[in-house]
Amino acid sequence: MRVSVTEYLDIELPSRRWICNRCGADLGPADRSYKEGCLIANRNPQEVHPVIGTDEHFNFSFDPDWVRLVEFYCPGCGTMVETEYLPPGHPLTWDIQIDLDSFEIRHGKDAQNSLEIGQ
Amino acid sequence: MARAGGDYLMGDLMNSIRLHEGFVYDRHAYGMGPGRDPDLLVGGLEPPSALELEGMETLSAVELEVFQHKITSIVEEARDVYMALSISEGIITGDMNTSVFTAEGDPAVVATGIYFHTLLNYPQVKYILKYYRDNPTVGLSDGDVYFFNDPTCGGVHTFDMFVSAPIFHEGVLIGWAEVGGHQGECGSMSPGGFSPTATTRWEEGLHVGALRIGDNWELRQDILDFFLNSVRNPFVFASDLKARVATCKRIRDRVLREVERRGAAQVAGGLRKILAVSSDLARQRISQLNDGIYRSVMFNDGVGLESGLIRLPTTVIKEGDSLTVINQGVSPENNMGPQHCTWHLMRASMGVYLFTYFFRGLSPNIGLLEPIRTLVEGPSVANCGVEVAHGEGTTISAMNVQNLHVIGSKMLFDSPHKLSVSAPFSRNVMIYVYAGVNSYGYRAANFTGTQNLAGQGARFDMDGEHASGFYWASVTDAGEVEESDMRLPMITLARVIDKDVHGFGKYRGGTPSVEIASAPMAGCDLTTRGASDRLSHNPGIFGGYAGPPNPRFVIKNVDVFKQLSETRDEVELSQYTLAKRHPLSGNYVFSYSSQPTEHFNYGDLFVHGVGGGGGYGDVLEREPDDVMEDLKQNVISSDVARNVYRVVFDSETLTVDGPATEDDRDMARQERLKRGKPFAEFMEEWQKLRPSDDKLRYYGDWPEPNSPGYSKPFWGLFE
Repeated sequence: MRVSVTEYLDIELPSRRWICNRCGADLGPADRSYKEGCLIANRNPQEVHPVIGTDEHFNFSFDPDWVRLVEFYCPGCGTMVETEYLPPGHPLTWDIQIDLDSFEIRHGKDAQNSLEIGQ
Repeated sequence: MARAGGDYLMGDLMNSIRLHEGFVYDRHAYGMGPGRDPDLLVGGLEPPSALELEGMETLSAVELEVFQHKITSIVEEARDVYMALSISEGIITGDMNTSVFTAEGDPAVVATGIYFHTLLNYPQVKYILKYYRDNPTVGLSDGDVYFFNDPTCGGVHTFDMFVSAPIFHEGVLIGWAEVGGHQGECGSMSPGGFSPTATTRWEEGLHVGALRIGDNWELRQDILDFFLNSVRNPFVFASDLKARVATCKRIRDRVLREVERRGAAQVAGGLRKILAVSSDLARQRISQLNDGIYRSVMFNDGVGLESGLIRLPTTVIKEGDSLTVINQGVSPENNMGPQHCTWHLMRASMGVYLFTYFFRGLSPNIGLLEPIRTLVEGPSVANCGVEVAHGEGTTISAMNVQNLHVIGSKMLFDSPHKLSVSAPFSRNVMIYVYAGVNSYGYRAANFTGTQNLAGQGARFDMDGEHASGFYWASVTDAGEVEESDMRLPMITLARVIDKDVHGFGKYRGGTPSVEIASAPMAGCDLTTRGASDRLSHNPGIFGGYAGPPNPRFVIKNVDVFKQLSETRDEVELSQYTLAKRHPLSGNYVFSYSSQPTEHFNYGDLFVHGVGGGGGYGDVLEREPDDVMEDLKQNVISSDVARNVYRVVFDSETLTVDGPATEDDRDMARQERLKRGKPFAEFMEEWQKLRPSDDKLRYYGDWPEPNSPGYSKPFWGLFE
């Protein structure tokens, strides 16, 4: 069975894998960050957030020298599963580190039922 | 055990987290002082007294609900009374709170307004009980009125002022009434309270721990005169102080009427039982979520006097029915401005998110914080000492709240409480504090209700609301501009739901209403304080984009009234049009938001926005018709519709070309697959990058403060 833990990410049980719920792509083991299974882009935030005004630094958009837009894409379908706004070179965020043993217990009954139905 | 630093935390999950050595975490970075006892801030709920235990047993679950509803109606009535009596802009527009405490000083029932005010201003009451009640030079009696505003004794900043009064029945203390909020002017270096260039506590005006200012419900004239001689707006100060006292008395009288009906034990016990039940309900809610470790990080781009990167990471460990919130790897104290937060403000501020979203449906009181352990690295900008300036500590604590909102949504998605999943409310704060003589002829200094027009973050199933409320108090209204024009030395010309200033996504964030204002005939003084001028504190979630930065924008030497009267063309007074097209002649100034007090002349323009909420989900999943609706409502530009949302449409009819849009979005996904790099390849290039040294002056060790040489691909891994 799969359990949706974000808009785009499922955890598959009992395999304990991250799965894109738009296309089914495998994004790696769930005891590691799904970001390791994504394609990642370092973008100038001004490509997305329009510059309003004439000032080089204060223009209602992000200053690309101070912060970068990091986009995480599903390698299967190109869905953008998450974004981060980080100073250039700052480590990424391991945002969801679920305790998989308790997760499996919590969803275990459904997982077992799912297996039986599948059989 | 967290105090010692370096120790491992308890619990299986927490075994993977190690705290840095040499720092405090579970209490303040400062100790006792006159009127100040940090132990009272970290101690948690007081045990129930014999009287409370007696009363708790008399209330069934249903009877407790009825009782709680009654006390809630008392504090909500008090909120309306206080707002009606006050002439201070901050109070009138909802930056305030009214509440009833237990006899031991724990906040049991709070009104809407700002919840965290009453999660903060209770240690002063406990201080009175511990140090003054039995002191023959002070004592505690029916009719006593106490005042306090010192941020290191349990408050926010010196401009938030509170009054508290004991509720006695036949000589027995059964509770406390408390009323207060953002009064503003406090004798600080800048008129109106906020002093963005203050670097020490001594530049931030009055500091009162807990002071008895009245007996038998009458204010002492000598103390009142001392206050009025210490501030720039004595008329407003005196009026507001009396409003607080009158409102406290109303609460006290209403509670005593309940005592006549129910008896003292049931009222005292009922207040205590509300806290116990709330704590149990919070634990039940938490236990329904997935165990794990969740993280989010936020940055600021200034310290007050100067620009510079500041870091505030948040790690939440959810295990069973409890949460541990850790701020570790925080930038150090900098002594360069007022953006320093106290341990108790970090803890209490969490209530803004928790009470409104995470614990949605549960009664807001301090019992909800019982299952949550708070560990804030200190000394740091988030857990600072006494001597630094504290006036904008909320900038730091709000970064933690935004992190918590992102984390909370990730915890709640797979739970029965998915309804609360959303991107954070806008916190790209920009506050304009006007000072001068108002239309009534007296001196006034404060901000306007524009603060209450921030955009809400997008929700998991719908867009965020435009101009939704105040970050710290979502249940607020901006008030009438005709009235604020009379009360403050400024004139509001327009309030506009503005363009391209929210977060884009499958569901978009709410846009703020931007206020365009001018100085009156006599001119006015203006102080501005803010954060997030080059970056943002309004993240998106699950692929949604952030609400954008929000710098200061004023136009000087413009004489807007003269130009508008002389032009034949219609001039659109919006942030977007003014900034982009410069339709009026004048000096357009875009700048860092923390600026000292400056005089502005008649007709100068102030463009005052408070930021838009973050988006939810991938922009390529937004319904094309909804994008067209955004365009029709003027909240996005056609460039955003075409280049960000990738919708193909007819510019004149705003009709979507469905097949062409599908093709363009397919192309956008292909562009992503081409642009994106596998993790290892990305990290190899990414880890070579680093902000320039001038941006890191106040940051601490790069990239992980207090961990020199940290080089892991993910932050915060210390096992």
